[in-house]
Amino acid sequence: MASTEELLEAYAEWRTRSNANPRLTKMVQGWDRVIHFTTTDTAQSYTMRVEDQQLSELAVGHEGRPDVVVTGSSEDFCDMFWGDLNPSEKYMSGEITLLGSQQDVMRIDAISMVAFLDT
Amino acid sequence: MTESAIASRATLRRALGLRTVVTTSTGLAFAALEYLAAAGLVAYVGGDSAYIPIIVAGVLALVAYGFFGELNGMFPTAAAIRLYMKRSMDDRAALTITFTYMTTIVLVIAADAFIVGSALAHAFGEPAWVASIWIVGLLAVAVATNLRGITVAGLLQDLATSVVVVATLVIGLLALVHSGHGLHTPFQPLHGHSPGDFLEAIALGVFLYSAFEWVTTSAEEVREPASINRGMLIAIGILCVVCSVATVAMSHTLTHNELTSAYPQLYLGIAAIGHSGLWVMAAVTAVTALNTFNGGFITASRFIYGTAREGSLPRQLAHLNDRAVPWVPVVVLGVVSAAVALIVALTHAWQVLVAVGAALEAMIYGVAGLCALRLRTRQPDTPRPFRFRGLAVLGPLGIVVFGLLALTASLSVQNRFNPAPLVIIVVAAALSAFYVLRVLPGIREREAARRAARPRRRPLR
Repeated sequence: MASTEELLEAYAEWRTRSNANPRLTKMVQGWDRVIHFTTTDTAQSYTMRVEDQQLSELAVGHEGRPDVVVTGSSEDFCDMFWGDLNPSEKYMSGEITLLGSQQDVMRIDAISMVAFLDT
Repeated sequence: MTESAIASRATLRRALGLRTVVTTSTGLAFAALEYLAAAGLVAYVGGDSAYIPIIVAGVLALVAYGFFGELNGMFPTAAAIRLYMKRSMDDRAALTITFTYMTTIVLVIAADAFIVGSALAHAFGEPAWVASIWIVGLLAVAVATNLRGITVAGLLQDLATSVVVVATLVIGLLALVHSGHGLHTPFQPLHGHSPGDFLEAIALGVFLYSAFEWVTTSAEEVREPASINRGMLIAIGILCVVCSVATVAMSHTLTHNELTSAYPQLYLGIAAIGHSGLWVMAAVTAVTALNTFNGGFITASRFIYGTAREGSLPRQLAHLNDRAVPWVPVVVLGVVSAAVALIVALTHAWQVLVAVGAALEAMIYGVAGLCALRLRTRQPDTPRPFRFRGLAVLGPLGIVVFGLLALTASLSVQNRFNPAPLVIIVVAAALSAFYVLRVLPGIREREAARRAARPRRRPLR
């Protein structure tokens, strides 16, 4: 199980990479969304926002009405933010579940893939 | 579905309601190919009794609804087909069947491009070869809009499907009223036909409902999970009524040549309200393409993308453009669909496409029954928000009936023995099996080696 500190550290790395990636910032142009993360093993909750082509800091707790809700284990989220895990594999095996439109789900996967193109 | 997941759903900013689920389910089934399948069905029954096999097929669609309802409840995700199939059978068999089934989407997109192209060329009084230009143009527009990430919004989709359904129903009823004479042998489907013909008619009838279940890929987007099942049920009812009326109207008012043309719906429009009916139905046919191209391209390309990301297809198929659209699958779908549509335009073999589609749909309904049954044994404790009562009996029965219908549909075209549909399906299945058994292991090995060579980024604690 990953602690909140570990998750925040991993996300910070993901955010830095994503916001510095010109292709990714273009990909999220006009895509302002609120994304809720919920961990199944530690019952933690987090909120991430995409505003003006930038990923926000990860807030602890759920804030605002989400466009997408992502549910998975804290370990999987941590590995995903570090780029050590392909979230699509976990999604296709049912270990990560999502709520939201298919287009939004695609964007989130795009962020995880393009941020770590060598993943 | 956990309580927290249900609560999360309720807070989603954008979520689909029951109305959009109904129109999505109905719209995906109501492709332009529907008109050709309906006209083709007429050849297998006596007089104006085509509604009987359509109602029987509707009952079978309810059985399929039971299968998909239970599976969707267990796996409310766009990846459901991968999940329930690989948990029900060997993953190689699951992938082979899934890839073969995906052929249906290509066929429906190709068929719709051909039908809409032919209908527009006919409506504008252009020579038949102009249809090929329409086909390529329509698919090019579909590919371009998909690549730009433009999708049909829920409200527009609701409107498009409503227009298609209501217009078809009204035109069908007006054609019957304006014919000025009673129905011919409406209760004798076997009049001048064999029981085998009736079976074929049911297989084509099942095809009229086909793709209603694709709405299950929207399970993550709905406000209430139960609305997917309710929506499918309502869609089956709508399809039963509209297809019965349109098919009986066709059998009652159209000549043999009109029924076997590539645009029987245009002649139905003329029979209903004169020459303006041709334009009404040409417009309606064009609107059906909106749903097919939007739903077909998105469903197929996103599935291919997901499967490639999972590692079951080459990584190149997961490349995204700057609008986060998997551009390779979209372009490949467009090119393959155009090629198939142009072959159909040259060979006039659209009824072969109908038969292939009917056989593949019956096959996948049987497979869904098998999965629902197997998962009752393999995953008895998995929550089932919708439990198909009578599965123990209707499951095996459904598998046999759908299997029989698939075989019947694959061996007959236009009321004549023709193994071409079976050959096409066998070739598609053989190519899928070859890929899964011979090519995929290499792809997975290379992917595993690539990942093993990459250092882990997460710091050790």
